[in-house]
Formats: sequence, structure tokens, C-alpha cells
Amino acid sequence: MILRLLLLVALTGTLTAGTTPGARPSPTPSPTPGLVQSVIRVNSTNQPFDFLRPWMKKAPFPRRGLGAILEGGFVLVTAELVANHNYVELEKPQSAEKSPAEVVRVDYDYNLALLKPSDPEFLKEFRPLPLDSGAKVGDSALVLQLESNGDLAETAARLTSITTSGYPFEGMALLVFRLTAPLQQRDGSFTVPAVRDGRLLGLLMRYDPRAQTADIIPPPVIQHFLAEHARPEFGGIPRAGLAFSGTRDPQLRRFLGLTEPGGVYVTDVLRDGAAAAAGVQPGDVILAVNGQAVDQDGNYADPEFGRIPFSHLTNLKAQTGDTVSFRVFRDGGTIDIPVKLFPRDRSKMLSEPYVMDRAPRFVILGGLVFQELSRPYLMEWGGNWVKDAPQRLVHYDAFQNEVDADRGRIVFLSQVLPTGDSLGYEDLQNLVVTKVNGRTIRSLDDLAAAVREPLEGFHRVEFEEDPHLLFLDAASVEAGREALKAQYSLPVLERL
Amino acid sequence: MFRLLLGVAILALAVPAQSAPVARSVVRIEAASVSPNYRAPWNPGSVVGGVGAGFVIAGNRILTNAHVVSNSRFLTVSKEGNPHPFPARVLHVAHDADLAMLTVDDPAFFKGTAALEFGGIPELESTVSVYGYPIGGQRLSVTRGIVSRIDFQTYSHSGMDAHLTIQIDAAINPGNSGGPVLQDGKVVGVAFQGYSGDVAQNVGYMIPTPVVRRFLQDVEDGKYDRYVDLSLSYHSLFNPAARRALGVPDEDHGVLVGTVYPGGSSEGRIQTGDVLLEIDGLPIASDGTIEMDGKSVELAEVVERKFLGDSVRLKVLRNREIIDVEVPSLHPWPFLLHSNAYDENPRYVIFGGLVFQPVDQNFLSAFDPDDLRLRYAFDFFVEDQIFRERPEIVVLSGILADPINAYAADFRMGIVDEINEKKIRTLEDVAAAFDEPADYYVIRMEGPGRPIVLERKAVEEARERIRTRYGISREKNLEK
Repeated sequence: MILRLLLLVALTGTLTAGTTPGARPSPTPSPTPGLVQSVIRVNSTNQPFDFLRPWMKKAPFPRRGLGAILEGGFVLVTAELVANHNYVELEKPQSAEKSPAEVVRVDYDYNLALLKPSDPEFLKEFRPLPLDSGAKVGDSALVLQLESNGDLAETAARLTSITTSGYPFEGMALLVFRLTAPLQQRDGSFTVPAVRDGRLLGLLMRYDPRAQTADIIPPPVIQHFLAEHARPEFGGIPRAGLAFSGTRDPQLRRFLGLTEPGGVYVTDVLRDGAAAAAGVQPGDVILAVNGQAVDQDGNYADPEFGRIPFSHLTNLKAQTGDTVSFRVFRDGGTIDIPVKLFPRDRSKMLSEPYVMDRAPRFVILGGLVFQELSRPYLMEWGGNWVKDAPQRLVHYDAFQNEVDADRGRIVFLSQVLPTGDSLGYEDLQNLVVTKVNGRTIRSLDDLAAAVREPLEGFHRVEFEEDPHLLFLDAASVEAGREALKAQYSLPVLERL
Repeated sequence: MFRLLLGVAILALAVPAQSAPVARSVVRIEAASVSPNYRAPWNPGSVVGGVGAGFVIAGNRILTNAHVVSNSRFLTVSKEGNPHPFPARVLHVAHDADLAMLTVDDPAFFKGTAALEFGGIPELESTVSVYGYPIGGQRLSVTRGIVSRIDFQTYSHSGMDAHLTIQIDAAINPGNSGGPVLQDGKVVGVAFQGYSGDVAQNVGYMIPTPVVRRFLQDVEDGKYDRYVDLSLSYHSLFNPAARRALGVPDEDHGVLVGTVYPGGSSEGRIQTGDVLLEIDGLPIASDGTIEMDGKSVELAEVVERKFLGDSVRLKVLRNREIIDVEVPSLHPWPFLLHSNAYDENPRYVIFGGLVFQPVDQNFLSAFDPDDLRLRYAFDFFVEDQIFRERPEIVVLSGILADPINAYAADFRMGIVDEINEKKIRTLEDVAAAFDEPADYYVIRMEGPGRPIVLERKAVEEARERIRTRYGISREKNLEK
């Protein structure tokens, strides 16, 4: 699906406290020799930006996890562990010796990050974990956590299914391995490695304590991430950029004239996506991708993983720039469409699904705070943000693919800091800006440019909704800049 | 089933002797009403009973609240000290003002009653007496309260209309809605709404006499025309830069027009960005108030006292020029989508086990849907002019499960966009599209998605089966 509204948010934190007394789960009695030499504690101090007060950050907080040591002196962790990090350090489990670390690469689509200690000798007594391959449903695995004394706590797990599931942040569906494992809440549960026969099977991404199921980021995702990292230009996860619906309904199949057994109905294509660029249209029925037949639910038979969604062929099985062939049923005939894959260009999105490690943009004008719409802003309304956040903005975010292509970004007045200039405007909030000083606003840069040319000494701001119109005294706004900064302790009045 | 309707009471006292004349005017109203069932619109809904109060006014008429008699199928009134119930009927009902007028055809009823007369707006801090039947008692109760606030307030019966309201410091309890509030022997209000004890205690509201008198005057021609409305939004003009930029001549006057709603009285007369300076010769302060009868009130109060077809004169600053604008033939706010509706049957169409209904406030209260497209279309129906494309938002509200619609579950609460390539603008369009013979009925929802396809043959085969299995008395109802 292109548009997912409800992000699957942070998960390892959901390892709930306390296991049932007497039902102490089964860390193996004697720790596997050597494994403790392949994992390291990672402490990250993170500080996200405050999207409601975009000039400042929220309070910092620590996150702890257990990284897997890879070839080349890298430590692999989930992106969630180091999201919006200020400071990351590695800590040896046994000696508690520490070293600051650098985040060499973080990507929120893969939900993975590579770290490197600033002291190149720091990991020299450690042994890298090779990446596992060939795991099958039913295989046993170990999930690794640390006891407080630095000893490994190993929990036996079983691989129960291989499927695709939404990753955190944007919610893109990628391959996951689902393990059954009775995990305990332990210090540092953000990033928990799982191993199979001494090889890295993946990093835990989500845990359901009631069902005792753990979704882990599996080797193909890690492999793809590492391969992209090794390329001169990090491409990320390519994708076709389409949404589809199954074709199980026999009435629909007869109406479409579908005689072949499988196929899925394309319901939408992402405006700037690869499928759209190649000419795939809503209403097409995808019969096969790269020669692999697609069934009525959108699955194909993967030789390694069994029946999984065909999106696997266009993201993890491919790299940016690759071409995959879509066999499409259209107007009673069958055509082959080559689709050249590329990742999504977030800079072209109307509302970005996540903004990490960089500050939100804003302009403050005479106490009026202008921002660009992004989902993190809406998510400041909390768990029920879809209902609680300003509905016009939620609508723009949810249905951005349907907004006119040249609409640009949504610039809005997020709030008003009361000043002499903003007198009478104090209650205005979350109003979408259409024009400033007669110029159409498609980005905050447009707004910053427009306020350089006031009309007859006034800034004229126009909105999509009530009150539609307001004015500021341009000279007074300019003269009051320093006073405004002092009054509300604003470090800067704009960040572009 | 027995339901108590809103009323006022703090202490339920036996009626003292000196109240005898009032006791001859106050009546107890019992209503048997049928609430429509929007979740099963083909069913008649359940019958509930309710009790409220009313009072006799000149001309053998009884005044009460609209919500006492809404959705009623059978009404009786009885007099204090005479338990004999007389069948009554509704003459007029004003849902936007929560007022209703009844009469009793049996002339014996009015024998011995005394018609109450109306007073003005009571002073703040003055004492008033409230009469009614709180908590459903058989005997008249009287309570006393102090007038604590006079202000505009939303009338919760329609949920959309705001009129002048008087707050008194007596809790209003279910059971004596429609009862008179008296001062010096004259009616100064009709008790109508309160708060539950969780929100505020000892707070009750009454409909003041300007609203009551307007209702009485409106129905003099034999029908009720509703309140008229300028159908525009205006904003206070405190900001000095805005005042100078617009060229507003002095410091204290004028409000800025935000939206002029299409289809409303002001459309084509007033524009966004206009500054309203005077209304019917009364200067408008920069906070939107005017001086009227020595009191400071919202400028809307001028329009509140007008009737269908009346006009209003505005002095307007437009493009730095002061012009006189007449808004002729005032009419009500043109959209009823967001108001609670009464005395209406749910409209629906059932086809192939798919239930289609238009969305309004009643529908929303019954379903509380989460669908984002639906909520947007409802919330921004007027503001974003969605009504131009769709005078009605018709949704697939339910699925009567059957093999024919086994794959339609994902489409619930979707807005119907097209059926067989015909744009759906109203529920009537849905009925017409299904009446058209076709091999396939292809239903497309708003937004991306596959179509729902129903084969005519399959629909015909399923028809009787679905009707019997789900007890569908009628497959459609297009009448309110």
C-alpha cells in the first residue's frame, strides 16, 4: 500500500515488564561459547525535535540495545535505537569499557544503522557474526539479551513464519521473519539480535508479549542494506510505487474478462513512482512479475521463502536502476511493461512520513509561526492523532497522492506567539497558507522570498480557510525581530 | 420504556396555595415516540415514552419544547389535579429554537385553564420560578433560581443553532422541559436544557421571550419558516496593521468578513475581505457587538429578529470605499447536514445486500465512522464546497452478508462515486442507477480502489433470499 496511515511505532520498547513467576523462560543453561564475543552493548542518547515548537528539541532520553558485530568492524543496530541521536557509545558487556561511536549509516526504511567505534582497536578481541542464509520455517534460533552482569541470556526461539509486514516509520511492507520466543523485559531491549547456528538471523523489530511473537529484520533486508552501503551512492530500497487489490471475487473476474487464474487489480500508482513512469495504470491487472506468476492475493512462489507478496521482487530482490518486467492484463489483452525501479523521492512528497536527524523548517514572522506539513507534526497529537490532529492537515497527509501535482508543499500557520504585531490573531492555528503578498506559496522558501516584498508596507497573508486574510505591519515586524527572540527565547526566527 | 425529558429542579416542592393560578396553566405532556433506527433503516425503530411540561397560552394553545414532542406518534396532556389525559396534536414545531406549539381538540380541556402572558428579559440577579415535572413525578413542582447570565448559546436539540439563552442557578433535570419560568406572574422563559452533574451543577437554561415571541410571530401565517441567517463568518478587527491595511476609518469599529457561504443570504452581496461597519444603522464594534435596547449584543441579534424575506442594510468598507449594501430576502442557513433531524425516516437503498445511505448528523451519531474520506466530506461539506459535486454524500453503510457480496466488506463506509459510470450525487441517483437494466452493476467508490461488481443475474437470484433472511420489509425508502 502506498498510503499507510497508522505507523507501526516503536516496538522493542513494548517488551513488557515481568514474566510470570515460576514460568521462567528458557535461557539455555550454558551460554553458547563465543557468541558473547560477537555482540556489544550500544547506548544512544537521542533528542527528537519538537514539531510543535520547531525551534527547539524535546528532552533527551537514553536508549540501550545490543548490536551485532559485523565484518569490517561495524556494529549493526536498528535505526530506531539511534533515531535522532546526539551521542552514541559502545560498551563491552563484560568489562563495561566504553568507546564513543559514530553512526556511519542510518536508513529508516530498512530500520537499520551501522556504527563504528571511534577507537579502531576497540573491537579487536571481538569476532564478527556472519550473516545467516537458508533459514526455513521450523528452524530453531537463539535470541540474545544481556544479564545485568554482562553474561549473555539466550532464549530459544523458533522461526514460525516468513512474510512481509509493515516496518516502522513509513510502514513499507518488507520481508520479516516471525519467531516464537518467550522474551523477558531487560535493560536495553532496543535492538536484540537473533542467531542461528552462530550466524546472524536478524535484529528484533517488534515483540508481542502476549503471543510471544517477535518480528525480526531478516538477512535479505540486512544484505540489501549492506550492499547499498557498499555502493558509491546509497540508493535505498527501490519500489514500484503502486497499490493493488486482490481479485478473488468471481464477479469482478468475469467483469474484467480475466480467464487466467491469478492477477491483482492495480488501484493506484504513486504519482512520482516507477510504475507510473513506466506506464502502469490503475485498472491494470498484474499477472506476473519477472516471469513469476502473481496469484489472486498478490503472492508469488519464492524458491526460498514460499508464498510471499510480489513486492519482494521489486524491492529486496532488486536494486535501484534495475528493470523488472510486469505482465499486465489490460483491455482484454496482455502486455509486458518494463519498470525501471527507483526509491521514493521524499523531497517531492507533499507531507513526509518521517523526519529524522534533521530539524523541521519554519519561519516566524511577527509572532506568526509558519511550517511545512509533515506527518511527525500531526503525530504530536499522540496515539489517536488521526482523529485528534487538525483534520484538514490530516486529510492532506492521507490523500497527498490525490492533490494537484503542482500544489507543492503545504505551508501552514501552526500557531501565533502573542506580540504587538500579532494582536488579534492569537487564536489562529493550523491554517493552510495560499498566498503571501500576492505570491502563491508552494514551500517555506516561497514564503521567505515573498515576505521580502511587502505590499504598501504590509504583509498580506491569505489562507484556504477562515479568516482567509490577515495583515502585518512589515516595518514593525522587521523592527521587532530581536525583541520577539528575547520575549520567547527563540534562538532563530527561521530555519530553511 | 420511559424517558424523562430535560427540565429544571433543585427542590421538588408541593405546589403552594398561592401558585394556584400557575397550576391552572401548567400541563404535563406525555409523548410516545418512535426513534428511527439508522443501523437497520428498514425497521420502524423502537417506541419510547417521555414526559415533559408545557403551558397554556392565549388561543387555546400549549407551548412546550420541540424535543418534548419530536418523533412523537401519540401525545397526551393532563392538567394539575386532574389525571385525565387528553390527546393532543402538534400545530407547529421549531427544531432550530427548540419550541413547539400544541393544541387539544377536546374543548373541555381548556375549561378552567388560564393562559399565561409573556414578560421581557429578566434582570441579572433577579429571582425566577420554574414549573414542571422533574424526574417524571405526577405532581407539579416549583423551584427557584437566580438569573446568572444572558448570552448566546448553542441549542443542543439541533446541535447547530445558537440563540439568546438565559442561564439560571437551578439545576435542570430531565422531566420538566417546556415548563414556564415566571417572574411577577409573567413568563420570562421556557426551561429547556441543562448540564449533567458531571460538568456543572445548579446550572439550567431557559429560552428567553425574544426567541419565544419570534416563534409565535413566525407561525402567525400558519407555517414555521425557521430562523434566517446572513450565512457568513466575520472576525474581530483588533489588529492595528490590518485596520490600516484595509483603511478602516476609526479605531473601534468594523469586523472582517471571512467566508460568504454559497447558497446563503449574503452570497453575491458581501465578499471575503469586506469590513462590516454598520447593520441596520447600528454601528458594529470591532469585536462584533452592537448596542441594542441598551445592551451590548452580537450583531447577529439584528438578524435573529428578522423573518423569511426580510432584508438587512449593511454599511461595508470594500476596497477602501464605504458602500451601502442591502441583503434582501433573507433566508435560513442552506445546509441541514450537520443538524440533528427529527420527524424523519431514514432514507436508504438496498441492492444485492449492499445498504446505501446518505450521510447526515443522525447517520453519524448512529455509526460514528472512522473512515477519513467520509469524515472529511462531512466536516468540510460546506467549507470546501463538497456539496457542489455531491449534494448528498452517499455511502455503502452496511453489507447484509450473502455469497453475492462476499468480497465487498472492505468497502464499508466508502463514498459512492459512480455506478455504471454515472456520477452519484444523491441517493435518488443510486436508486435510478440500479433501476437501469444492465448485465453488470459496477460501483466505484471515491478514491483509489477496485470497483464492486454485481452481476444482474446473481442479484436477482439473491433478492428473495436476502429479503427473507434479513427481514427486509422494503428495499428502499427515498422519502424523509
